[in-house]
Amino acid sequence: MTHGASPTDRAAALPTHDDLVDERIVICYYVAALSFLTISMIAGLLMALQLVHWYPFKGVELLSPGRWRMIHTNAIAYGFLANAFLGTLHWAVPRLTFHTVASRALSWFIFVAWQAIVLATAVGIVVGPTLQDRPWLLAAAKAWHLPMSLGAQGLEWGETPFWIDPVALVGLALVAVNFMVPIGRSRGPMYVSLWYFMAAFVWTFLTYAMGNLLPEYRVAGTSAGAIGGLFIHDLVGLFVTPLGWGLMYYFVPILLKKPIWSHGLSLVGFWGLAFFYPLQGIHHFLYTPIPMFLQYGAVISTIAVELVVATVVINFFGTLSGRGQAFFDNLPVRYFYTGMVFYFITCFQCALQVTLTFQKLIHFTDWVVGHAHLVMFGVFSLWLFGIMTYLFPRLLGRPWWSRSLCEYHYWLSAGGLAVMFLDLTLAGVFQGYYWASLQPWDVSTNGSQPFWITRVFAGLAMFAGLICFLVNLWMTARGAEATDPLPARAAGTPAA
Amino acid sequence: MTRIQSRVTALMAVVILLPSLYGFAGKFLEFVHIYRSGGGGEFAVAPILNYLLASAGFFCMLLWAAWNGMFRDMERPKNEFLDNESRLDAGVRAPLFRSHP
Ligand code: HEM
Repeated sequence: MTHGASPTDRAAALPTHDDLVDERIVICYYVAALSFLTISMIAGLLMALQLVHWYPFKGVELLSPGRWRMIHTNAIAYGFLANAFLGTLHWAVPRLTFHTVASRALSWFIFVAWQAIVLATAVGIVVGPTLQDRPWLLAAAKAWHLPMSLGAQGLEWGETPFWIDPVALVGLALVAVNFMVPIGRSRGPMYVSLWYFMAAFVWTFLTYAMGNLLPEYRVAGTSAGAIGGLFIHDLVGLFVTPLGWGLMYYFVPILLKKPIWSHGLSLVGFWGLAFFYPLQGIHHFLYTPIPMFLQYGAVISTIAVELVVATVVINFFGTLSGRGQAFFDNLPVRYFYTGMVFYFITCFQCALQVTLTFQKLIHFTDWVVGHAHLVMFGVFSLWLFGIMTYLFPRLLGRPWWSRSLCEYHYWLSAGGLAVMFLDLTLAGVFQGYYWASLQPWDVSTNGSQPFWITRVFAGLAMFAGLICFLVNLWMTARGAEATDPLPARAAGTPAA
Repeated sequence: MTRIQSRVTALMAVVILLPSLYGFAGKFLEFVHIYRSGGGGEFAVAPILNYLLASAGFFCMLLWAAWNGMFRDMERPKNEFLDNESRLDAGVRAPLFRSHP
């Protein structure tokens, strides 16, 4: 980012926002992300109904809850989070580097290809198991030595059918190239967001390759278990976390109109994540036949990551100091900091969960499901909602149709999630004690019913929040009534 | 960077790095012993290699970054970034809500 000449020449020579950002692709990514989020939430609700014996589609094979549970998680990871991140990166990276992405045509190609990959994954998961015992398919599998069925791969979070994995990897490589080119072209010390983004592009590709290909083709048994542990955790820590933090380091200072408290501390956080995160995934498999020294290694690196996380949280709250009112007045800031509080709680939970004593109680219980929702929805989804709430008025060139609907979206999402999290955490403790007391399995599932019923209602609240957002977006996009159209680029105050 | 900031940064670096290095070194030695004694350490090689490869890459990147002066004036990028942002948004008026101040 160094530019010779005098400051005035320099300013004149620098590209403008319109030169840098293709706003249409950001909108398209957001629309895709919200569509997949809607599908995923419906799938989550279906699964929640199944657990309380209210499943509305009993006996319909293509709507069997087992398949739709996988749709729920995959549509979140690859449909919602990935799309929302990619859209936001198309905004942030060119503005941070003052260079456009490597190729706009490539961006559009990746957009279309990624939607095809996610849809193909969904189709594979839903239809694959129905087709897989057809004679023609069995013959083809035999003839071409296909390693697995058409449907889901038996890998947690890696359920993308095996025939999609290579295509998804090519897609991830193209994403990396498209964004690394502008980052490579920028000069001078890099802002922390760019470090996080750069790392995420490399890590996501490697993590995906490791988690999907190694257990499928190379390693088996306990080694595959160890790899699976690394994969599921690295997907959160090396794909979602660096992109999430990178975007927070980008948007929080802009909205608070104040630089981050300490850039040095943010770099400690980044390098700490780089070195300590990759080994901790095995903490998902404590008490398994994976050698104890690896399990302890994972525990220790988790403790190191806890400290890293503390640096990040301190930095953001240091930045908020003196601007605390923004938490109440500015909706995107409220989303960001609510997510940070939830992040802190997640990490506090991690500190407990990683001990062997605690694992004895909560492993395999709903505690873990509560934890997963807290981090994926309470943290990253809230951040993305905050970003979308901030960017849509800019992208559409008019303010939100309804402020109340935006507020409802926030309260229903944050409130619903808080209820779901507390409910499942408590359910987990009950389940742990039921199992520890060696009572029959049914006792624990019957005892879980009140918690599972509460989860349905918490989920409905979260879903209602999303509907508010979608309605508001639709009305805003249509330019309905509400717009005393404030020109998006008229003279005056900067965006807030 | 103010004095308090540099102290917090240094403190966090020490608090994070020392215990972690100690833990890793200990466990790594344990691993070498188990591997040598043939007690089942072989099948743990995959994740360890995985980690070492990833970390080696990042270690090289860290050296490259230090060599290229990325950490020389550590607080500069945060101010530069905000200046650039306000330049890019100069003249942009995009309130979130009609009632927005
Ligand atoms: C309408 C709201 C939602 C409901 C009712 C819901 C419900 C569920 C249910 C029933 C499960 C399966 C739990 C089990 O197998 O015991 C699940 C798993 C999961 N959900 Fe949701 N969910 C919702 C929204 C979300 C959102 C928005 C996200 C992410 C942003 C999310 C992330 C996850 C994850 C990561 C898992 C896997 C947890 C694990 O395997 O430990 N869910 N959800």
